[in-house]
Amino acid sequence: MLSHFFLMVLYAFLVSVFFTLLWRRRRREQVKLFLQLFLGMVGGGLLVAWLMYPFPPGPPAPIP
Amino acid sequence: MADTASNETKPAPALPRVGNPVVAVVAALLIPGLGHVYLRRWRRGLAFLVLVAVSLWVGCALKGNLYQREPNDPLSILATLGAMGMGISYVLLRMMGYAGDILSAGYEYGTAFLLTAGLMNWLLVLDAWDISRGKKE
Repeated sequence: MLSHFFLMVLYAFLVSVFFTLLWRRRRREQVKLFLQLFLGMVGGGLLVAWLMYPFPPGPPAPIP
Repeated sequence: MADTASNETKPAPALPRVGNPVVAVVAALLIPGLGHVYLRRWRRGLAFLVLVAVSLWVGCALKGNLYQREPNDPLSILATLGAMGMGISYVLLRMMGYAGDILSAGYEYGTAFLLTAGLMNWLLVLDAWDISRGKKE
């Protein structure tokens, strides 16, 4: 359940709802902004992941 | 001509001031959403409380880092100020000895959730100030 994708979607959802309630008052504008933010974050995350896919992960970072 | 110009730059009608701005800011800083509740924005205040609380809870469940000032890391001051925005929760977590776990699989995500909870509440503090001063609905 706690996959990278799930956590990314959860984060995008929380932040999108937050800014929607903070910046918009009318329901129609709220829905529009929510979709823009949510899909932008999730879609942007997937796009960056896809661009990084060909690169090898490399060794794990040292623990300080 | 002058009338047209004055119409174009006509400011929006002023909103009424609500409550005491200082009380609203202090309430918002202590408990997320309480400033909005004080300003009679009940539903929004409760929604903000739930959002910040969920972010905080997920961050703690993932054992993320709750920033505190590091001796040789000036940027940690900014991160600490951001995290301290979560208000009384930050103090309580510190008092309870919460430190996060860098070996936890969700450490990085948890850190992002905790920092976001603090930053969201800083924005709520500013929002409560604006509403109370009549600059925002």
